[in-house]
Amino acid sequence: MGSIFEKLWRLGPAAFVFKAIIAAIVTDGLLLAFIFLRRSYRGRFFVRRDARVFQLRQQWDALISGKLPFERWRNKKFDLRIVEAMALDAFEAAGPEESARLLKFMRTSGLIEKRIFEAQHLKSWRRMRALVALGRTRAPEGVPALAEALRDRHLEIRLAALRGLGRTACPQAAEEILTWVGEWGLQVPALPLQSALIQCCGERPQLLLPFVKQAEGPLREILGRVLGEVATPALGLELLQFVGDEREELRAAAARAMSQIDAGLALDALTELAQDKTWFVRLRAIIGLGRLADPRATPTLLKGLTDSNRLVRLRAAEGLVQFRAVMVPVFEQVVQLRDRYGLHAFLTALENADLRGKLETQLQSSTSMDDEEKSNLQKVLQTGALPRNERPITEETHDSAGLRP
Amino acid sequence: MIRFLEISNLTLFWYYLATNLTYLAMLIIALKTSAQHQRRLESHRLSWVKDAPMTPPITIIVPAHNEEASIRVAIRNLLELDYPELEIIVVNDGSEDRTLEELREEFCLRRVRAVYIPVTKSAPVRGLYRSDVDSRLVVVDKQSAGSKADAVNAGLNAATSPYVCIVDADSVLERDALLRIMVPVLEDPKRVVAVGGIVRVLNGSELENGQLQRVRLPRKSLEAIQVIEYLRAFLIGREAWAQGNMLMIIAGAFGVFRTDLVRGIGGYRANSMGEDLDLVARLHRHLREKAVDYEIRFVPDPMCWTEAPSDLRSLGRQRARWQKGLLDVLWPNRDMLFRPRYGRIGCFALPYLWLFELFAPVMETVGIMTIILAASLGVLSREFFLQFLIFGYAFATVISMGSVLQEEITYKRYNDWKDVVRLVSYCFLEHFPYRQMHMLWRLQGLWQYLRGDHEWKPLKRKGLATARVE
Repeated sequence: MGSIFEKLWRLGPAAFVFKAIIAAIVTDGLLLAFIFLRRSYRGRFFVRRDARVFQLRQQWDALISGKLPFERWRNKKFDLRIVEAMALDAFEAAGPEESARLLKFMRTSGLIEKRIFEAQHLKSWRRMRALVALGRTRAPEGVPALAEALRDRHLEIRLAALRGLGRTACPQAAEEILTWVGEWGLQVPALPLQSALIQCCGERPQLLLPFVKQAEGPLREILGRVLGEVATPALGLELLQFVGDEREELRAAAARAMSQIDAGLALDALTELAQDKTWFVRLRAIIGLGRLADPRATPTLLKGLTDSNRLVRLRAAEGLVQFRAVMVPVFEQVVQLRDRYGLHAFLTALENADLRGKLETQLQSSTSMDDEEKSNLQKVLQTGALPRNERPITEETHDSAGLRP
Repeated sequence: MIRFLEISNLTLFWYYLATNLTYLAMLIIALKTSAQHQRRLESHRLSWVKDAPMTPPITIIVPAHNEEASIRVAIRNLLELDYPELEIIVVNDGSEDRTLEELREEFCLRRVRAVYIPVTKSAPVRGLYRSDVDSRLVVVDKQSAGSKADAVNAGLNAATSPYVCIVDADSVLERDALLRIMVPVLEDPKRVVAVGGIVRVLNGSELENGQLQRVRLPRKSLEAIQVIEYLRAFLIGREAWAQGNMLMIIAGAFGVFRTDLVRGIGGYRANSMGEDLDLVARLHRHLREKAVDYEIRFVPDPMCWTEAPSDLRSLGRQRARWQKGLLDVLWPNRDMLFRPRYGRIGCFALPYLWLFELFAPVMETVGIMTIILAASLGVLSREFFLQFLIFGYAFATVISMGSVLQEEITYKRYNDWKDVVRLVSYCFLEHFPYRQMHMLWRLQGLWQYLRGDHEWKPLKRKGLATARVE
């Protein structure tokens, strides 16, 4: 190695520069030639491809019904690619009837079988391409091949397989994914895993429960999050066990899931979670309470308005403005809180829901308060500023709104 | 004197060689990375990203100061973007023209009390508005503090999403740009804290209702040369630096950041001249000091098209400002240089910026003068002088051609043969006299900064409404 540097050094700057000029000019020429040759090749390729796409489209019905023998296009690589791309594009945009017809075509023509074979036997980018195509077909028979690819050592391949399984949206795919994460741990980033599981567990969310119980660490949090997204009322009692879980992510998931179940069961748990020390657990609980739209949740939502986190405040306000029949008493209680940020959040939610006018009208026609009180509240509504002195909340106000828990 | 000239020429020779070798290495890395990226794209159906239940919401922040000519088109373009959960915050930064009125008329704004918590410093807000036409649009009307950074901070205070995307009001995004730029975030949301997209020159192209209809190369040479500059900067420079997680600039015209982190470091530095570079430098500093495992990525396919200056005066002002911005960021961060604590940022990225970006105009000017002097005094052989010039020219052309090649093999936005022929011709023509003028503008920027001239001089713009094929 030393001698090469020695020789280069002996050449001196002039000879070195001269050689560099030649190299640079040759490179310029090569780059130029490559750009123009490639461009003209691609131009011709696309003209040929477009013409063939046009021809095949003319025969589309005959092609997918099988009247046109599959061998006519299946044995030509150029045609095969075009037909597969056309079928998959059409499949993704089709309604239920058309997609069933296209799926049948892809099965009978051997397109799916070919992709399954490729997904199992090819390597690297080719395998990835096969997995993506297989995922696009959403065919359940592709699930084993996709699941096998989850064990690939390349992240890209694992991600393509995971996304493909997510597209199939069937419990069989969910089982495969859950078994895989159970055995191998977290081998992919959280978001794609969550997305795939949410898509696949929608039909049978109870599949998740044993895995959530067994899992540990970040995986437990991820599965908990998925559970929160897909939980149904039928899971009600099962979810209660997570309310006191030590992992905040799981408590948040439980809160998220609670809003999907029966209000009678969820209210107490959500009220407890709304006092949690972690802000996003409180946020989830407040959102859950808002979704329940149960007047018994009002005191907790009012407390949420004074939360230290602005998102919690905003969500609590969004929950409160839903009670349209009792807007005036709710507003009165918001003012009584004497929390500037809480009032601000409530007014924002009111305006976002375009309910400010309605509250104004209800305030004007309200008979449950005297004129001075009414005028004070109207002033607060108009200015967004709290009055300097405020009377404490009266018993009548609560009772008239029927808001006592 | 002769000894001085000899030393100077030798220094210049090695400097020039080092610059060119660095560019060459970056070109090779960028070509390889682009090829990998193209392959990776095959595993991403954008519709899957869009349909994914966990795709996080984004707030787009659009700082606008006297943008009456562009604002309607720019916001219409943003509202048309393909993304599941979007919030758009336009910050009217004390505009003296009809920017706010244009927005009011076009989007039926009504005054609201949207959540605005001044977490980051900005000039006082005069009012908040929400559109009746599209509730995703919020307008923050604030007093001007004379900087884009201050306007973005106001937008940050109103943002409600976990990610913010900063977009200039004189730019348009391709419909799927947000989906594309979010791909790295979706892949690894814990590590990826910011992503930059590519910015391309809009001049000459055809726009309709805020959507790019046809991409054409601008007719004016000055604008066409900037196309090559942008290709070189993004498709070679950013692509290569991002590969080593050493990306120091995310274009101010289009970038996505994690909201909590940007707020955590106090938002943009309000008086910063190169706010985009400054933010990324401070993010690197903050994350390295906290020993966080993170990545700042660049994705070359989500495209943002922006109007480039079309006259020499505006271009000169822009380039002088960029140079001032560079010095304004590098000087306060000089303590990061060669400190192991800052890893590759302190050991490679920042020294590169000092040596090959900040000092480049000084070195080039001094170099040209000493070489001419040495050649005329006979210290330097005239043949060598000529050879050196030819080498410099041929090599710089290779780099420019490399960027055109990158565009050709990857994104191929210029479909017309004539455009490609012209683009290639400008690779040969940009070196005289454009490059020398560019060097002088950058020198001017340095001089202005050192003299304390930190003023943000306005650039002449045609506006997006006039972007048409000539």
